[in-house]
Amino acid sequence: MNTTFILGLVILAIGVLSVAFVRPKTYVARLINLEIPAWGLLLVMLAYDEALAILTFVAVTAIGTFVIVRLLEWRDASC
Amino acid sequence: MIPAYPLGLLVAFASAGIAFFALMRETDGLHRLLLTDLIEVVTLAFIALVGTDLAEALILPGLVVGASELIALSEIYRIKEGYTRPPADSLQIEVMESAPAILAAILVVYGIVLSGFSGGAVAGLGVIFYFLCRDHNERFELIETASGYSWVLWIIAFFVFMIFPEYWFFAVMLAGSAILVKVMAKMSLIGTMRGGPNA
Repeated sequence: MNTTFILGLVILAIGVLSVAFVRPKTYVARLINLEIPAWGLLLVMLAYDEALAILTFVAVTAIGTFVIVRLLEWRDASC
Repeated sequence: MIPAYPLGLLVAFASAGIAFFALMRETDGLHRLLLTDLIEVVTLAFIALVGTDLAEALILPGLVVGASELIALSEIYRIKEGYTRPPADSLQIEVMESAPAILAAILVVYGIVLSGFSGGAVAGLGVIFYFLCRDHNERFELIETASGYSWVLWIIAFFVFMIFPEYWFFAVMLAGSAILVKVMAKMSLIGTMRGGPNA
């Protein structure tokens, strides 16, 4: 058990709280706050030397953000 | 001093509980989609806590299934809510005019060096970025054909493993490059999701 691991768990817990009870409750605020638990998970993975998982997680998170931003764009165009 | 694994499990369980509680109380569809993303991150922490090669092997398919699930759900939500008018081209960002070629080249070259599944993901990200920023008039059947042939190469590599185990290095290289092309082709399709006739 080292500093990276503990820091990862703390950031994970803080991030989950910040996404679950987001203020102001807008889509973009929640989307940005989603990066915080993702950082916590990355630190936990880093503590266990899971390099492949980290790389793929970064790539997939980028895609996820893109998909949701695209959905928001469509929503703005149609409303 | 509490050992690492039980402590991690405790935090992960508490976080998952909070995330599911928030999902339960949420009524808006798009907010629920975002919370589904949060639950994916939290539950991946359970797997990451195992901390061996097994964890790594389990996280990769979990991430890919999560990404495809997110894409499918967002499309279903878009159709259900009737958001059918494509967004206007109002986004004018300088970086998106000048950077794509260089960034895409760096990512694709690094992906080819990595090879295999992660290489495909990194190279695919470069291609996505390029297609996102530039106009795309690509031919989908060409991408699909390349993806199909690389799938066949992957299967052939597995047969080489079974039948001629002494050529294992050739099979590893074949499988690694085939899955690179496969993942890259599939991911590059996401970069073209901007509306228009093919969306």
